[in-house]
Amino acid sequence: MNVRGNNKLKTGMRGEIIAKKFLQKKGYKIVEQNFRTKYSEMDLVAKKNNVLVFVEVRTKTNEHFGSPEQTINKNKINRLVRSAQAYAAYNKYFGNFRIDAVCIILNPDSSPKRITHYESITF
Amino acid sequence: MLVKVCSVSNSGLKTIGIEVEVNVASRGLPALEIVGLPSKAVAESKERVKTAIINSGLNFPQRRIIINLAPADVPKEGSCYDLPIAMGILSSGIECSLPQRSLFFGELSLDGSLRHTKGALLLALFAKENDFANVFVPKASANEAAIVKGVNVYPVENLNQLIKHCSGVTSIVPAEYRESPQDEFDIEFNMAEVLGQEQAKRALEISAAGGHNFLMVGSPGAGKTMLARALPGILPPLSEKESLEVTKIFSASGRIPPEGSLVRIRPFRAPHHTVSPAGLTGGGTKPQPGEISLAHRGVLFLDEFNEFPRSVLEALRQPMEDGRLTISRSQQRVEFPARFILAASANPCPCGYLDHPKRVCHCTGREIEKYSKRVSGPLLDRIDLHIKVPVVDIEELARFEPLKKRQTTSDEIRNRVIQARQVQQERFKEEGIHTNAEMKNKQIAKYCVLSKPVKQLLVQGGKKFHLSARSYYKMVKVARTIADMDKSSEINMAHMAEALQYRLRIKS
Repeated sequence: MNVRGNNKLKTGMRGEIIAKKFLQKKGYKIVEQNFRTKYSEMDLVAKKNNVLVFVEVRTKTNEHFGSPEQTINKNKINRLVRSAQAYAAYNKYFGNFRIDAVCIILNPDSSPKRITHYESITF
Repeated sequence: MLVKVCSVSNSGLKTIGIEVEVNVASRGLPALEIVGLPSKAVAESKERVKTAIINSGLNFPQRRIIINLAPADVPKEGSCYDLPIAMGILSSGIECSLPQRSLFFGELSLDGSLRHTKGALLLALFAKENDFANVFVPKASANEAAIVKGVNVYPVENLNQLIKHCSGVTSIVPAEYRESPQDEFDIEFNMAEVLGQEQAKRALEISAAGGHNFLMVGSPGAGKTMLARALPGILPPLSEKESLEVTKIFSASGRIPPEGSLVRIRPFRAPHHTVSPAGLTGGGTKPQPGEISLAHRGVLFLDEFNEFPRSVLEALRQPMEDGRLTISRSQQRVEFPARFILAASANPCPCGYLDHPKRVCHCTGREIEKYSKRVSGPLLDRIDLHIKVPVVDIEELARFEPLKKRQTTSDEIRNRVIQARQVQQERFKEEGIHTNAEMKNKQIAKYCVLSKPVKQLLVQGGKKFHLSARSYYKMVKVARTIADMDKSSEINMAHMAEALQYRLRIKS
């Protein structure tokens, strides 16, 4: 994808790469990346301890206009839940699954300033 | 991690314990939720607590925090949960264990300091009853809570100070109760300024001495309002027990100023005649004390008695008998004490000059009837002393001024009243009442033994004035007070005769 000049997309994709490495280091196996359903796009789908984990990655370059956590609203969570169900149905998956969020703040040089992993945001 | 902090909820004068459960979860997005029927003020404490913690330079956990106010079915009101919620959140995050058997209470300011919160006295009383050793209250409310002996009251200035205390870095010194200076009630008039009106002054003295209700009837300008306004000056000071009762009501309704102490001055309430029934007797969906409860152990002065709406006046009937009022709402029932002296004043007719020695009354018979009907018989029956305030002769008034004839001052009358009250206090030591007016029939039979001729006089008078059974006993009580003022242990003919004279129902 041509992302030249599209800063928002660039930031997002940079964040997804960081999150992927971060989760792999934590022992997660990445199953799927940018999986699209009719409800939304799943940034990452991972697996650990026989639990399927759908991960929403939120990346921001600064916190001047709110934290990445604040951008995950009720509507987004609802869409994530439906996407997860759609994914499970499509793949005939009947095991446990949960939805996580990884929030990232980037430094100006695109290195991560803070990575926070929230488990089970629908709790 | 789950932390439990104890606090209280005040509903009227009743206090129940509330457990504030704070759970800081390790899962989920950061959020702060309050459950357990919080009112608007409690729900808003979220924002206050969050900002106060951050502004205190402390760490606010970025976790999913659930706060439960148990029991969950009791509606929670007021801002007093800020401190327990903040302490619950902080103690789950940083290394500071909360002291055992402690109550936390207080409203937070955004800078982390604590504000004066109403109901601190009720909190301390609850702590003592339920074996809580320590209470943590805002510094401004600490003196009020320290009235209660046997409980450690910690005056907290801000969150940082309390955290340091809990983690043992520095400790807060428990507050010692000190009497704050109270301005002696601003008495507008001295009895000495009221010229003449000896009979009315005497009746007011009896009223103050025995706690009797009275109604003054007279033409405009005769001095009714002036007399009533001079009444606070002759009232005795509140006893220890009475003082606590009054302070409780004041504390519940948030009338105690910051750093305030026990209320020592008898309340004097003079609501305007446009007062609503709920304003007079108390009420609202969250029941608040009305004027009659704020006048507890003091005086409720209703000027222009006939101008009050009938619905408002009739609401007085029950509390006047019982000395308390229960406000029943679908959500809750609240009882407020209301033992007051009803001081009322009225004109005899719409124009005000009925029975005036010189001026002519222009009212028609029907007008006068309509006017007098505004106050019902049952209400008048509950008034012990009916006083006629005659017109002051201008010539006499002019004579008084240059001569400066010595009039009895308020202080002299007050001393006599205090003496009479002491007699009553001695008598009712074991009865749990304070004044003659509060006597029930059983107590009347015990303490007001009438000799045969005195009884005869009372029966005679009763027949002549068509006294009701209630009035009959009221007369005995008034006679008892007059005897007490006379330092006589028995009620004799003169006492009873004087009592009867205040019963001459004035045609108003």
